[in-house]
Amino acid sequence: MKEYYPLTAAQKMHHNWIKTYKTQQVSGVSVVASLKSPLDFGLLKKCIQLEFERYGCMRVRFTRPDKDGEVKQYIVEKDTRDIPLKDLSNMSLAEADQLMQQWAYETFDGDDIPMCDVCMVKLPEGFHGFFIHMDHRLIDSCGLVVMINDLMELYTHYRFQSSYPDDLADFETVLAKDLKRASNEKRFAKDKKFWDDQLDALGEPLYSDIQGPSVLDEARKRHGMENLRAADIELENLFVQVKDYYLEPEPTKNLMDFCMNHQLSMTNLLLLGIRTYLSKVNNGQEDITIENFISRRSTHDEWTSGGSRTIMFPCRTVISPDTDFISAAYEIQNVQNRIYMHSNYDPELIEKEMRRRYHTPEHTTYESCYLTYQPMPVKMENPHLVNLQQHSKWFANGAATKKMYLTVSHTEEGGMNFSYHYQTAHLEEHDMELLYYYMMRILFKGIAEPDMSIGEIMRLV
Amino acid sequence: MTQEMQFKTIVAQYCKVTPEEMTNSMRFREDLGFSSLDFMSFLGELEDTFDLELEEEDVLKVLTVEEALELLERL
Repeated sequence: MKEYYPLTAAQKMHHNWIKTYKTQQVSGVSVVASLKSPLDFGLLKKCIQLEFERYGCMRVRFTRPDKDGEVKQYIVEKDTRDIPLKDLSNMSLAEADQLMQQWAYETFDGDDIPMCDVCMVKLPEGFHGFFIHMDHRLIDSCGLVVMINDLMELYTHYRFQSSYPDDLADFETVLAKDLKRASNEKRFAKDKKFWDDQLDALGEPLYSDIQGPSVLDEARKRHGMENLRAADIELENLFVQVKDYYLEPEPTKNLMDFCMNHQLSMTNLLLLGIRTYLSKVNNGQEDITIENFISRRSTHDEWTSGGSRTIMFPCRTVISPDTDFISAAYEIQNVQNRIYMHSNYDPELIEKEMRRRYHTPEHTTYESCYLTYQPMPVKMENPHLVNLQQHSKWFANGAATKKMYLTVSHTEEGGMNFSYHYQTAHLEEHDMELLYYYMMRILFKGIAEPDMSIGEIMRLV
Repeated sequence: MTQEMQFKTIVAQYCKVTPEEMTNSMRFREDLGFSSLDFMSFLGELEDTFDLELEEEDVLKVLTVEEALELLERL
């Protein structure tokens, strides 16, 4: 008999966005993985079907929403669908990417239906592989990378007699453990206290926009509240553009060496770069909050069970311009370490608490920037495939719930990719150029002179 | 199972070192490859398993398996 489970906090985050923005499109995640090599598509189909058996999160479905819009999830025992093959080889690679981008905009509409689509693709220039489109409530990007690697291990096992891949952790078991942990009353009370204490100590957060203080000023006028500290969320025009910037291997190494030599994590250095920029363009504002995504995958089971384990928490710091760069970095690290310790908490409750305390108007926010640092590239590390040229690409779902969402990832050549997803309703490519340019100026000035004050760095860059 | 072995079994879920191979002088970050998030999640698991409450100030000073075991002993 199938068991019904509530959503985890990470799943609820996506579910709430679907409710707020009234479209499942905001929850889509899509990727293509391909190799420049002929593939046995009959065998690949068998492996994809086998992956549906091995990776339980691909079989998750949701019940019809109740009167409050809440759903339950369950895992169907079998999904024996056919896996179609789509031939895109008669177009250019750019055109094929454009077509797959259209597929990424498609929505899963309905209750008790599969929330995952997979097809095999013949791409131009001799690339062959598969395209996966899923609902984010089922999987996050780490989960997709694990799935792609497992699938190719299955393929090389049957094709080249390599060893059979290790078992993946059971999705349902890990889900049940997560839910049990989240309902631990003692833990809940401790986590709630941590987040409440932060508000007690610092008071209401203050919005800071990439475009400067005029955005908050406009929100104040619109709401007729001269002391409003939050700004409006765009609800109508969710169209998103993506602007990528590439940081070469040598400067990337400088950033990484700095992190290693100062026992800092890259996430915290990036947070410092963004917060210093926000402070610079908001008249030196000291109280800055950035939403930072955390992928809650630490144990072997968490890594291999699939599911959606990425969740965001506000990283709020109040840093004086007199603070030197390295001390500011440690201040952020200290805050982040504490957040990690309390990352079982449902971030929706933090938001609710702020609305209760400060009567924040509906559909307003304290944050304009969201960060994901992804140390893991989409790369098939299978030894049978490692020498083959690969074409892998993430496709944006085309509907942004966030004003600016930066994903930082490492490239195969040792560089870093800064991918800025921005809502076109209010932002232009030029805003991203400025953000990237100043982030880099701030970071490289800071790592060159870590004892220099944040205020001085803001003035010089 | 001794408390030490129970502790090392939990640590082993977060890294590629087996409880048997794990020495007390191993450092969580450098030798066992823990990230900050791994370490904090692990502490949460310790709290649940051993039904104890860890003080943030104490745990942030812990660097090695031995120091973590000593902290457990004291609680």
